[in-house]
Amino acid sequence: MTRITIPVGPQHPLLKEPLSVRLTAEGERVVEAAMRIGYVHRGIERLTEERSYVQNLHLLERVCGICSHVHTTTYCQGVEALLELDVPPRGLMLRTLLCELERIHSHLLWLGVLAENIGYTTIFMYSWRDREIVLDVMENLSGGRIAHAVNVIGGVRIDLEPEQVDAIRRRLDQLQEQVDDLRDVVEHESTLRARTKGVGGASLEQVRRHCAVGPLARAAGLDRDVRRDAPYAAYDRLSFEVVTEAGGDVWAATRVRVLEVFESLSLCHQILDNLPSGEVSTRAPRRVPEGEIVSRAEAPRGEVVYYIRSDGSDKPARIKIRTPTLPALSLVREQLRDINIADVPPVISGIDLCIACADR
Amino acid sequence: MLITLFVFPGFGFLVTCALLFEWIDRRTIARLQARVGPPWFQPLADLLKLLSKESVLPRQADRPICRALPVVALAAVLTAALYVPVGGRVIYAFEGDLIVVLFLLSLPALFYFLAGWVSGGVYSILGGSRSVLQYFSYEVPFLMALSAPAILTGSWSISEIITQQAEASWMIFVQPVGFLLAVVGLIGKLKRVPFDIPKAKSEVVGGPLTEFSGRKLALWRLGVHIQTVAGVFLLVNVFLGGGDLTLVQGSMPLGLARAVTFGVKALAMLLTLSVTSVLYARLRIDQLASLGWRVLAPLGLVQLAATILMGIS
Repeated sequence: MTRITIPVGPQHPLLKEPLSVRLTAEGERVVEAAMRIGYVHRGIERLTEERSYVQNLHLLERVCGICSHVHTTTYCQGVEALLELDVPPRGLMLRTLLCELERIHSHLLWLGVLAENIGYTTIFMYSWRDREIVLDVMENLSGGRIAHAVNVIGGVRIDLEPEQVDAIRRRLDQLQEQVDDLRDVVEHESTLRARTKGVGGASLEQVRRHCAVGPLARAAGLDRDVRRDAPYAAYDRLSFEVVTEAGGDVWAATRVRVLEVFESLSLCHQILDNLPSGEVSTRAPRRVPEGEIVSRAEAPRGEVVYYIRSDGSDKPARIKIRTPTLPALSLVREQLRDINIADVPPVISGIDLCIACADR
Repeated sequence: MLITLFVFPGFGFLVTCALLFEWIDRRTIARLQARVGPPWFQPLADLLKLLSKESVLPRQADRPICRALPVVALAAVLTAALYVPVGGRVIYAFEGDLIVVLFLLSLPALFYFLAGWVSGGVYSILGGSRSVLQYFSYEVPFLMALSAPAILTGSWSISEIITQQAEASWMIFVQPVGFLLAVVGLIGKLKRVPFDIPKAKSEVVGGPLTEFSGRKLALWRLGVHIQTVAGVFLLVNVFLGGGDLTLVQGSMPLGLARAVTFGVKALAMLLTLSVTSVLYARLRIDQLASLGWRVLAPLGLVQLAATILMGIS
């Protein structure tokens, strides 16, 4: 059979961010996939060495356009540990609240992207409509829908009034109802299931070999979540389930993410119910003592790792960021072999790409 | 004659209907998806904008064929529409016009394949071959569903089928399964969700029409919308009794009453199509083929056999 090469990207309706996948196909079957990344490399790691610790907050918030808050959270945690600062509990709680809101927003966004890529426009529209509620809440909290600039070294810069807490609760209850409907559709709609079930299955062994993390790994049955395994921020004071599924296909990944939205909603309510009183931040010195540290956090797509080395000045000597998308990309390359061309969109969207994170 | 050909129920009427149907369709889908949807003149604006834009083709495309294809496809569906009665009015009618309409309405699938083949893009070729694969899945049940009424009435003339329905009962009540098959077939023919496989943008970008732009694309799109009109009118005529007046008997002058009933039925048919396209995700081509050959075609055969047996007894 003659082979044809189908370019997917760097510009393609399937992709929201530039990535190049060259598929070699025989008829409607993909036999080989080659990838090129780096189209949105901005040299952020190098740029951090030119800026002070405070300036870096604003730079690192822009590593990712979806999970902006978790990047500054990881960074602040690392710097705070180097400074041996005690962040006030109210500050940690509010930081966690934003983390969970961001997870809901990211998962709903992902569900929409997946639905659109399998031609299910209605679910795309519904899940993005519901996502607006989270964006509104985040805007109400911080003034920003996507880039919140909430974290500062030593705490957060926002505080909540009691009436704000009630307003957020009401909005989240409304969201819960709407997401309930979405869950019904995801669990019972036959065409959605036909397009995702058994598609792009990753085995536990594959997940381990490629070091995949986050919902992608949990969908294959890997029970790992930094929030529970190495609690940071206020997670040690909150209770939640780590959602896992078996099979590792797009269907399992969808279920993991939809169920995680409910866990996150419950976490948000716990935070709002148990908000400690007091300050939200402490003053941090400009210079950071010499030393190095690794800081971890669970982003919506999985574990984010920051390595920070300080030489005692007010600028970091080196910052290395490891984001969840890069190992996912190497896994997806394996999944793109011997599948139907029509299964390429669910497989590629199933891993929840964040090219901006991966390229930095 | 010229007026029937160019104004009503000819070209002018069909284009107006096509734009109106497109608007109703888009608006309904938008409302169901919690969006606002386009204003009423949007389809016309889209058409005029595309007509006035530059038309670019890749170097390896076969220019004359690419230029001719959209015109020929449009001509085919327009001709098909000429033989479909609208509320009792028809331009041409003869014994066997149902076969002509079915043939002309199935031509665009072939033109899509050709368009994909000659326009010289990898997505176009993939989309074009999908168009033909899809054709084999929906066309057989569609043809079987539409021949059953003809066999039952003993005539291949659409007008005759309408007359006989008015005397007995609408085909949708006699052959509900056939009607269902015809609707599913029509969705496949019009490449609507969940059968929009040849133009699935996340898989094959624009499908067979990827390389077309400007005036050519405008004509392609107009062709699809007129095909929608012709398909909806055809099903209304064959299964819903056309301009049959059982609903509003005696309340209006005859001609107006026929037009109104026909319009209401066509609208109901169109809304069925719109609502269906909101409900589902796009199927894969092999899933469509197995649906077509394992479910729809056997159902069509049973329907056809039952019809023939009914005719004998």
